[in-house]
Amino acid sequence: MSDLAKEKAARLLKKRGSLSSLGSHEVRAKEAFAKTKDSISTVSYMEESGHHDDIARPAVQMENSYQLSPARRFPVLTVKDILKDVLTSYLQEEKYEPELCRQMTKTISEVVKARVKDLMIPRYKIIVIISIGQIRDQNMRMVSRCLWDETNDNFSSHTFKNSSLFATSTVYGVYFE
Amino acid sequence: YLKYKHKEEASLMPGPCLSYDCIEGIIGGVDYSQNKVNQWTASIVEHTLTQLVKQGKPFKYIVNCAVMQKSGAGLHTANSCYWDTTTDGSCTVRWENRTMYCVVSVFAVAIAL
Repeated sequence: MSDLAKEKAARLLKKRGSLSSLGSHEVRAKEAFAKTKDSISTVSYMEESGHHDDIARPAVQMENSYQLSPARRFPVLTVKDILKDVLTSYLQEEKYEPELCRQMTKTISEVVKARVKDLMIPRYKIIVIISIGQIRDQNMRMVSRCLWDETNDNFSSHTFKNSSLFATSTVYGVYFE
Repeated sequence: YLKYKHKEEASLMPGPCLSYDCIEGIIGGVDYSQNKVNQWTASIVEHTLTQLVKQGKPFKYIVNCAVMQKSGAGLHTANSCYWDTTTDGSCTVRWENRTMYCVVSVFAVAIAL
């Protein structure tokens, strides 16, 4: 049932020439409270709801634009403000809950992408990555490295934390030459 | 210990096996260690990126890696991309061992040549 709803939603999101591609991955762990045995069970699954492109479309050949550099660069600070705004408004009062946070990551990534698209920066491709996790005395490290054109491409990121959860968000803007 | 692999459909994408092998090579049999994790993440990302570049395809790459200690906490990640689906794609690999999780995502954006 939920698959049909997801397909409908994906079709509504379809725009000519580009598809919004949404993927999410979740890792959950539960500890068994046993005195004699120390066991940890993990529940994890993945969802891919983006690939509804049944008709094979050939890659579009672009004509030469004779443009050497972008008219408008990727606005790092504006995007950072968007991230700050979205994360605090969605997560300020929330406590970590597996179901809620799973839905939340997908919603937030779609919302951020829509808002960055609204900035209408021509010839830029947008990639949004959101991670929401529970705070439980664990350590975590996130690293990202990119191979791109330093002068044209950029990224913006923000982290939000409250008493029970943390959220990291990164937006990459890649210029389409 | 358990291993999971996620297969992507996009035919233009470098195989998930590449990132998986990189992770396996660097943190294959070790336990989580606070002082080493810095080194590990940097080398996983470096290594994956150099392997991708060796393929010589006309792409810009973004490699993202998250390493988390296993402590009963949950983690959710989601990504949303605005690009040309005929030429661009992404691939995510999840790996875990007894003491930690590792999630590596690779995004490839085409350059028009």
